[in-house]
Amino acid sequence: MEVAEVISITKPSSSRPFEDVDDDNDSDVEMNNTTNQSIVTPGELITDDPIWMKGHGTYFINDKTYSSVAGTVSRVNRLLSVIPIRGRYQPETGDHIVGRITEVGNKRWKVDIGAKQDAVLMLGSVNLPGGILRRKSETDELQMRNFLKEGDLLNAEVQTIFNNGIASLHTRSLKYGKLRNGIFLKVPSSLIIKSKNHAFDLTGNISCVLGVNGYIWLYKTNVNNPTSNNNNNNSNNSNNPSITRLEEESSWEIYSDKNDTTITNSIRSNITRYYNIIKALSYCELGITEQRISMGYEASLAYVNLGSLNDKDAMETICQDIINNEKMRGIN
Amino acid sequence: MSRMELYSPEGLRIDGRRWNELRRFESRINTHPNSCDGSSYVEQGNTKVICMVQGPMEPSSRSQADSAGATIEVNLSVASFSTFERKKRSKSEKRMVEMKATLERTFQQSVMCHLYPRTLISIDIHVLAQDGGLLASMANAVTLALIDAGVAMYDYVSCISVGLHDQTPLLDLNGLEEQDISTLTIGVIGKTEKLALLMLEDKMPLDHLESTLGIAIAATHRIRDLMDDEVRKHGNLRSSKLAKN
Repeated sequence: MEVAEVISITKPSSSRPFEDVDDDNDSDVEMNNTTNQSIVTPGELITDDPIWMKGHGTYFINDKTYSSVAGTVSRVNRLLSVIPIRGRYQPETGDHIVGRITEVGNKRWKVDIGAKQDAVLMLGSVNLPGGILRRKSETDELQMRNFLKEGDLLNAEVQTIFNNGIASLHTRSLKYGKLRNGIFLKVPSSLIIKSKNHAFDLTGNISCVLGVNGYIWLYKTNVNNPTSNNNNNNSNNSNNPSITRLEEESSWEIYSDKNDTTITNSIRSNITRYYNIIKALSYCELGITEQRISMGYEASLAYVNLGSLNDKDAMETICQDIINNEKMRGIN
Repeated sequence: MSRMELYSPEGLRIDGRRWNELRRFESRINTHPNSCDGSSYVEQGNTKVICMVQGPMEPSSRSQADSAGATIEVNLSVASFSTFERKKRSKSEKRMVEMKATLERTFQQSVMCHLYPRTLISIDIHVLAQDGGLLASMANAVTLALIDAGVAMYDYVSCISVGLHDQTPLLDLNGLEEQDISTLTIGVIGKTEKLALLMLEDKMPLDHLESTLGIAIAATHRIRDLMDDEVRKHGNLRSSKLAKN
């Protein structure tokens, strides 16, 4: 009985048919596979050379480095790490994110940003209504819930990461703050491609905050204060330093809970259209960028009925249109 | 053939397997990409289990926040249609509570919990059909779901159940066999001989334990390979998709 041999019967090459189908669709998949570093899985020996420093996703026993997650190996100088295929959002300083208040605490708010732990937003790192720059007093502490309360959505920037991994946020700019007049949408954070601008205006009077953490806010463009490029031009032309604008514009209104009364039906349907486009991009696992959303909007105009955008076929068609469009323009 | 024969003189079991033969093992990873961080589906013969992992995430109550490492919470739900006879099961059933605790302790060890202080990893297991080897299938499903969630762990935890009939160990028992002979469930970390889980609900003669464990460990190594194939297949598919973007 000491022969420890196990018989196991598996389906005959169950993986083949799928791969064949893929290869038929586009022939360059196979090329990609070979050029890609292959996947490592937990417990797999990466190297037994002690010269490498161990980074995230690895562990080290007896001078041997093993992988602890399933993903691709990345080597930067002498740092060896494994980037997992899937995982929660990992905040980095400077990320523009969308979050939701989960708790009002002592001089701080806790914010759900889709990371492993909730981020903190200190009372000292928000703008006060009226735009006065001063130390926050006890009265401010007492009315913290009037600024932001549980369930409120806001966009903010990651200020620092504490050494226990918790992110600290700030909203000390006019482009950050409470969100209203729109709809919230969540996609996997790995699909968001980092770029210079994560808040932009789209055609059809819609603006978008594309949080790096995969939380997205689609809303009616604010007429007085357009978000993106136009904003820069304005301030350049009128030569207004941002401080004065801060005083003028950040009244109590920046913490208002009320939606504008002038959200028309066409704006509502445009928001829905963009919502469905982003859902389609995420369904097809395409990276989400401003350009792709705009291209998706053009492609989606063929569908008059917004509900039909939720069909599997429609989502795939739109994504295929975007990919074709990019090929034509020679991006990719 | 009035009485059921567990192991015929020809060396065949009730379902026609040899003593050292596994049932059909099939697994799938990332089955629910939108509703959780990691998910998996495992079939071992007629035992079918779905597993979903949420987290690491902020714990809902302060008591679950441990500054030394992540808390692992397992929620078991066994469908009332999972057995031949329809039967409602409560979560407080003694066997359920024990299985839940066993799984929690197993994965507290093999997940690198110290990397995720003050967080909660919540594991939901749904048993769709049961036909023996339930604990083993659940542990295998949890391993796959944790890998899908990108949670760091030392190695795969692969599990198998094994029984002892007379002097012959029988590998990967089905429901009928499990009713009649004593069953040992083991979970092994990776390709080593380190046990992360060992469960024996009744008696087993000590002098046969070694050979029984030997075949069970060999079987867990095979299960690990089968799971690894599935993870790799999914990983390569995904990375080729990302490269296209």
